[in-house]
Amino acid sequence: MESSNRLLLLAAVLAATAAMSGCSIFRRDKVEQPQTEEQAAAEEEAEDADSTPPRVIEPNVARRKIKTPKIDNENWEIGVGAGFVSIEDFGTNPSYAAQISYHVTEDFFFRADLGQSTAGKTSFETLGGDIELLTGDERRFTYYSLSLGYNFLPGEVFLGRDTAMNSGFYVMGGIGSVKFAGDNRLTLNFGAGFRVLPTDWLAIHLGVQDRVFDSDLLGETKVTNNMEMLLSATVFF
Amino acid sequence: MEPSITTTRSRRLRRTSLALAFVFACSLSAPGLAKETEAEKAAKEQAAQEKLLQVFISEPYLELSTGPGRGYPVFHSVERDASVDVLFRRTDWFKVRDERGVEGWARARDMRRTKLADGSPFVFNLGDRDGFTSHDWELGIGGGDYGGANLINAYGAYSLTDNMKVELTLSQFLGNSSNGYKVEAGITHVIVPEWRLSPFLELGTGVVYVEPRATLVLPEDRTDQTAYVGAGLRFYLTRRFFVRADYRWHTIFTSRDDNEELEEWKVLIACFF
Repeated sequence: MESSNRLLLLAAVLAATAAMSGCSIFRRDKVEQPQTEEQAAAEEEAEDADSTPPRVIEPNVARRKIKTPKIDNENWEIGVGAGFVSIEDFGTNPSYAAQISYHVTEDFFFRADLGQSTAGKTSFETLGGDIELLTGDERRFTYYSLSLGYNFLPGEVFLGRDTAMNSGFYVMGGIGSVKFAGDNRLTLNFGAGFRVLPTDWLAIHLGVQDRVFDSDLLGETKVTNNMEMLLSATVFF
Repeated sequence: MEPSITTTRSRRLRRTSLALAFVFACSLSAPGLAKETEAEKAAKEQAAQEKLLQVFISEPYLELSTGPGRGYPVFHSVERDASVDVLFRRTDWFKVRDERGVEGWARARDMRRTKLADGSPFVFNLGDRDGFTSHDWELGIGGGDYGGANLINAYGAYSLTDNMKVELTLSQFLGNSSNGYKVEAGITHVIVPEWRLSPFLELGTGVVYVEPRATLVLPEDRTDQTAYVGAGLRFYLTRRFFVRADYRWHTIFTSRDDNEELEEWKVLIACFF
């Protein structure tokens, strides 16, 4: 049995080497060296053929291809809000705002705000009768800001025994611009807010921000602080 | 049980019905809240189309927290070889649901050690140094100087390769003599993206809108085409954040006889994802 196996293998090896030399007929001079090496290797293989039985069955197992569904990333938060903004010297007036945030890590987020209000009258105008410092269009107070926020105190709030909602206190600061009295001004803004999440995708914010800019409307140039308080609802997507 | 890769559920449906339920809750207060949970249940039972990823726990257990943050308490653990469905991801936390229907938040570091149904590891992008080298999107905000005017700037970029990015920049500038906006699109080439402090070159074009300040006697607002060439540095900070500073040299193709040339520099804080 053993000898017949060996004979078979030797025959196979001989046939293979003959075929190979045939293939490389055009480069016979260069083939010489590898051929002898190959033969030696084949002979060695033939010697320990007893320990490795010849392959009989080709495994015909198709690997199952698994399509992994895409994971839904919910790092964006968009929403609208309403509140009040106190425009220095021009009273406190209702304001409306839209905001969009991108949550980079559990601690930090980027946020863009866009808002609008209409300035009231200065006390000078109120007392002075017919005096109007600004026209109707100039009284429009439009602002935007780009901020970086930090989730300062994450936590949970409880409504009764059974309801717990995730919440967080955050601080933020950034730069932006305000268009008021017919002119654009660079603003710095900083503030803080409290966020409650009734569900995973909905958040209610109560935030306060100060928008600081230089104004020369009333004669001399001064730094004005414009405090804004907003209640807003946002959704994550 | 034969491990299946997906289970089904309609989150979008649940979301809309929840949104409606929330409106009810606002108007009806306490009884509305009861309706919300009912709506949630109903939506859960509804025929679901969306497929969810199922992963298998290969560590001794997977801890679930009540919220997506390091301080939230761990309230549940899923044992080895059990599976969880991945509902969604927020920053470095995954909202998952186990076989018994318990939902909680698992941290990305732990999810990295789970396996898919075919035994291969669950791989996803983690905000780290490797991510800084190779990522899809960038987003940044910052400020600087544009020809003597203050500049407010936001940009977004998409990576074509690790080296090459297409970029959209939105800016507003506020100067003594004029204000304005500009929108620019360009190509950025990061020379060695593997380096923590890595230089880049940029080239682009856009539109600039200038409105002279009211106090000056200049005729009218104008819109011109602009082109820039620039260079800068980006420095990886931590997690998903990096700082980028760059210098751009602008040519504004005005309708007058001469083109205007302006210098711009800015510093931005940016993130990648």
